[in-house]
This record gives sequence, structure tokens and C-alpha cells, in this order.
Amino acid sequence: MLLHNLHIAWKSMQRNRALSALIVVGIALGIALSTTFAAARHAFAQNPLPAKTKVLRYVRLDSWDPQKAYPGDGANTVPTQVTYRDMAELMKSKIPVRQTGTFKTMLYVFPDPKVSRPFKETIRVCYADFFPMFAVPFRYGSGWDAKADASGDPVAVLSREMNEKLFGGADSVGKTVRLEDRDFRVVGVLDAWTPSVKVYDLTQNRGVGAPENMFISFAWWRPMNLRTFGNSDGWGPSPAQRGIEGVMVSEQTWIQMWVELPDADAVAAYRSFLDAYALDQRRHGRFLRPLNNKLSAIPELMDDFRIVPREANTLLVVSLLFLAISSLNLVGLLLGKFLARAPEIGVRRALGASRLDIFVQHIIECEVIGLVGGLLGLALSVGGLALLNTLMKAQGARPDFFRLDTPMVGLSILLALAAGFVAGAYPAWRTCQLPPALHLKVS
Amino acid sequence: MLSMRAIQKVYRTDLVETHALHDFSLEVKAGEFVALMGRSGSGKTTFLNIAGLLDTFDGGTYLLDGEDVSRLTDREMSVIRNHKIGFVFQSFNLIPDLDVFDNVDVPLRYRRLPAAERKERIARAVELVGLSSRLHHLPSQLSGGQQQRVAIARVLAGDPRLILADEPTGNLDTLMSREVMDLLERINARGTTIVMVTHAPECAARASREIHLLDGKVVDTEQPAAGEVRVPPVSANLAAALA
Repeated sequence: MLLHNLHIAWKSMQRNRALSALIVVGIALGIALSTTFAAARHAFAQNPLPAKTKVLRYVRLDSWDPQKAYPGDGANTVPTQVTYRDMAELMKSKIPVRQTGTFKTMLYVFPDPKVSRPFKETIRVCYADFFPMFAVPFRYGSGWDAKADASGDPVAVLSREMNEKLFGGADSVGKTVRLEDRDFRVVGVLDAWTPSVKVYDLTQNRGVGAPENMFISFAWWRPMNLRTFGNSDGWGPSPAQRGIEGVMVSEQTWIQMWVELPDADAVAAYRSFLDAYALDQRRHGRFLRPLNNKLSAIPELMDDFRIVPREANTLLVVSLLFLAISSLNLVGLLLGKFLARAPEIGVRRALGASRLDIFVQHIIECEVIGLVGGLLGLALSVGGLALLNTLMKAQGARPDFFRLDTPMVGLSILLALAAGFVAGAYPAWRTCQLPPALHLKVS
Repeated sequence: MLSMRAIQKVYRTDLVETHALHDFSLEVKAGEFVALMGRSGSGKTTFLNIAGLLDTFDGGTYLLDGEDVSRLTDREMSVIRNHKIGFVFQSFNLIPDLDVFDNVDVPLRYRRLPAAERKERIARAVELVGLSSRLHHLPSQLSGGQQQRVAIARVLAGDPRLILADEPTGNLDTLMSREVMDLLERINARGTTIVMVTHAPECAARASREIHLLDGKVVDTEQPAAGEVRVPPVSANLAAALA
């Protein structure tokens, strides 16, 4: 019966093509707008690392000026990153099963002159645990180990794109890459890795950028005098020491600190550890503000950092309203279309169709219209997302930051079906209530 | 087969009440071929609509096959229409964008029959009305007589116990009318009850009983005289098809 109803729906759409096209376009525009803005919001809002949500925690400490809170909306806002000296102390804890401090820097890469001229590249500086903590996929080799962090081995991990650029995509494990004036041995090459937002560093541009193309050990921070290429905030007088030694003792916050805690007990223990650390620091004249350490899971962190722009929510609501209004506007058109078919309805009722059969037949027709409109709307939303990607490029987003993934396509189809139902329910109900005898004689 | 007692049907507007059927009583036995005659507005079509469960009535009792239809739900009435009643209309009432096969298929679809059985029934019914070669023609590609034969094939495919025909020859010329009447007669001969509304005395004459309506009431019943043969000659083609 479903196939029969689909067949009838298709024939009905062909019977009055102009009217059908008008209805389809109405739904398509609504779907295009709502899909575009739903996909845009989804790009920001989706959890980039759901498998690690329960175990990964981002560390923030309120090491800020006792005279005034860290700038932000609330009175208890805390610096978004930690200082070097706090990170160095926290890294001594044995509670996390994995932990890393991380920041991005920028260095000159000196490739084989036959391949390319030297170029500047943003580079992620991190500890060995970074790769398993963020489930980074490898195509060749792997990350380095903790020994390399301890001994300061000159090891590096390349992104797939960088490996393509420097080594033509071949397995480059064991080969050498020159950064500034030092040679680094490649120990791993990443596979395709496109987390929705750059979860390990949400401090800039809402994390919309692509992951860095090269990773080196934190052990090289001091020897290479690496400076952050990301955000940094600080307070207090300039330290007496100059250069990197000064940064080490300053209240500059510039490092993202992550820990992996396997269960609730570990989380509680680590919280206690953070509080104890802050209280201990208080004895040395630091952490004079009320205790306010944060140990945030990824969703909480994304909320705190307002990764989803307020505009994305507003535009989504507006586009859904547009879809609802479009659907309601189609009620009249569909009612006219269906009532014009009253004689046929009378015949079908005479031949054994119940009211429910007639209702289902017409609702299926509306759903077919909705689906066709939905598919057209999806095609239009691809264009809409391409436009948004162009606009976001200026903010350093990767070219495919906004995209239609399977959940978004599924949502669009559901919205199209819902729009078809909203537009068609009343006309279908009115049609199935037609007295069958009334139109048989005149048909 | 069909028993109506004191049926009342009133059409109301804000200003006017029209008694379409008033104290209307009729018995039709299984296997009868009854012709209903009367002037326009005498209640013929109202009777057919009520008999076919397409309209409700305001008073009286209607038993169809012994079942009181006044308490049936919409779904139950639909099932009865689909299984027990076949309709033949003056204007054929084929669905214009469905071909012959799909038109005959409509009632079978609502009966949820399996595809193979539907196909077999359609082929048999269409062959019976002599239109096997037009199976995939649209109604607009057929003559009036052919369209009415398709409508009859649609009835035959459902194998109903009762056929309600509303001026089935009203839109046909003499030759076509005769063919359609031949067909109805032969269907009746196989045991199907037929109630036919007609204005044409020559068509009514072929029924086993004529009933005359006036102002929503039965005013006269005429049965053939003993020994009267009311069946005119059947065309050679139709006789062969129905043999």
C-alpha cells in the first residue's frame, strides 16, 4: 500500500507541476536555511572527542591578581590557561594516568632546498601523552615516549599534509626535519585528523582552526627559547630575570593543561590536589584569591569558553521559524490542491477506502513533497555552508569547518518530513472528511 | 440482501428542509436485478448513496445482508463497500491519470490482496469486458463505452455480492448502452444482485423488477408477467466473452 501511495503521490505531483514546484521550493528554502544554520551551530557545538569526555579534564587555576578578578562575565572567572611554574608543579602529580601541558609556537622550517624554500609554520609543543589523550590517529610511526620528554630527544611528529609537503607522502619515520637551527627526527606521521573544533586549545578563535602541522616535545621549550604564538595573559610586576627565565617565574598564563583521570575517585583526588597546591602556594604569597580551581570536562569547557556563538543559536531559531512559517503558508495551497480532487476521493471512498486510507494517502503525498523539497534544500545548504566557510576563513578556520555530516543530513530529512506533515496534516484531514457521496455524481 | 424500512433522509440548510427519502421501504432479494425509476429529485441517487453506505440516513432501519449498518464505524463501512458492493456510475468515475490496469486495481489495493492475486483478478475481469488489449491505456484514450466497461471490470475484479448502478448508460449511445446492459445482465445471471437507477425505460425493461419513486417514496412496483422474456438479444462478441 505504501508503494501504491507513493505512486499516487508522484502522479499527483506531475499533474500540476507548477503548483508542485511552488510547494517544493517553499519547503526547500526553509530546509536550506535551517540546515545551513543547524550545521553551522553543530560545527561549533558537537563534542569533538566524545570517547574521551569522561576522562579528559582541563585544568584552570585562579592565580590571578588578588585585587581584581580575571576579566570576564562573572566574579569567579579564572585565567583560561596556566603559568609555566604551575604547570611544571602540577606535572609532578601521579594521580592522572596521562597529562600534558601544551602551547603553540611558530618556527621556521628548513626543508630540503629541492623541495621548498624555508617557511614559517605553527608548531604544537606538548608532552608525549598528548597523542593518546586526544586519540590522535597515526598513519606512520607513533608519538614519542616519556623518555624523549625527559631526555630532550629531538623528535617530531608531522601532520599528513606536512608529510606530503616535505616527503611527498612517503613514510618519513626516521627522516630529519630542520626547525630553526636544529634537526628533528620524525617519529610519526598523522593520518587525516579533523576534530570539529581544536579541542586541546580552545583559547583562540573558538578552536575553529585546523590542528597544527608539526608537534615537538615540551623539552625543547627552554633550549629553543620558544614563545607562545597563542594567547597569553598576565599580571603583576615584570620579573627581575629577563627572557625565558623571566617567563618561568612570572604570572603569565599561556599553557593549556590537560589531565586524564580514569574515574570519579581520581577526579576527586586531583581536585583535592589542586586545592592543596593552591593553599601551599598561598603560603608563598601567591593564589591570594578565594580558592577557585576548575577541572572541566570537554562539554563544560566548551560552555565556559562560549564555543557556540550566540549568533549561531539566534540564526538557527530564526531559520526554524522561517521553515515553520513556510510550512504553514503551504497549508492553503495544499488544501486547494487536495479539495480540487474531491471527485476522485469520492470514487476511492466508494471503492473501499476508509477515511484513514485517504488521510494516509495525502499525508504520504505531503511527505514526498517534503522530501523532494528537503533534498533540494540540502543541495542549497551546501552552497550556504560554502559561503559561511568563505566568511570563516578570515578567522583562521579550516576550509571545511562547516560541513554536512550524517547527523545533519538526517536532521534535514527529519525537518523536511516534519515540514511536510505540518503543511499537509490539516489539508489531508479536511480531505478525508469529505462526504463521499457529494462529489460522485458530478465527477 | 438489502432491506430498508421507513428510511428517512432530510437535507437541511438554514432556511430549507428537503425530505429526500420519506418513509422509504424496499426489499431486494439476493440475485435480483432491480431497476429504480423516477423523476429528477425523486430520491433515486439518495437511495443509492445510502444503500452503498456512502451517506447516512436520519431514521428507519437498513439491513445489508442481515447486518444493521447504522452502527458501523467508517472503517467497517469501508470494508463492506470494498468486499460486498460494487458501484457503476453514469460518468464512469475512472481515475484519469491511472491506466486501465491501475484503475481496476484500486479496490483490490484497499483489500490488501497480494500482488499475484490482484494481477490475476485484473486480467480476468478485463478479459471479461473485452479490453485485454487496452490494459495500459489511460481513460482519456478510451471511448465512453470502453470506459464504462473498465468501470464494470473494476467491479467484477472485486467480485461483489451487490452492484449499485447509477444510470450506467446515461452517457452512452444506443449501441454502447446495449453492450453495457448485456454485460450487467450476464453478471446478474451469475448470481450478483443489481440495483440500477435509470431514466431509460428500455434499460429498466431488462430488469427483473421495476420500482418507481416519487418524492422519496416507492409508489409502484412492476414485475414481469409470467412467461415474459425481458432479456433482449446479446451481442455476439459479448456472448463469446461471457461464455
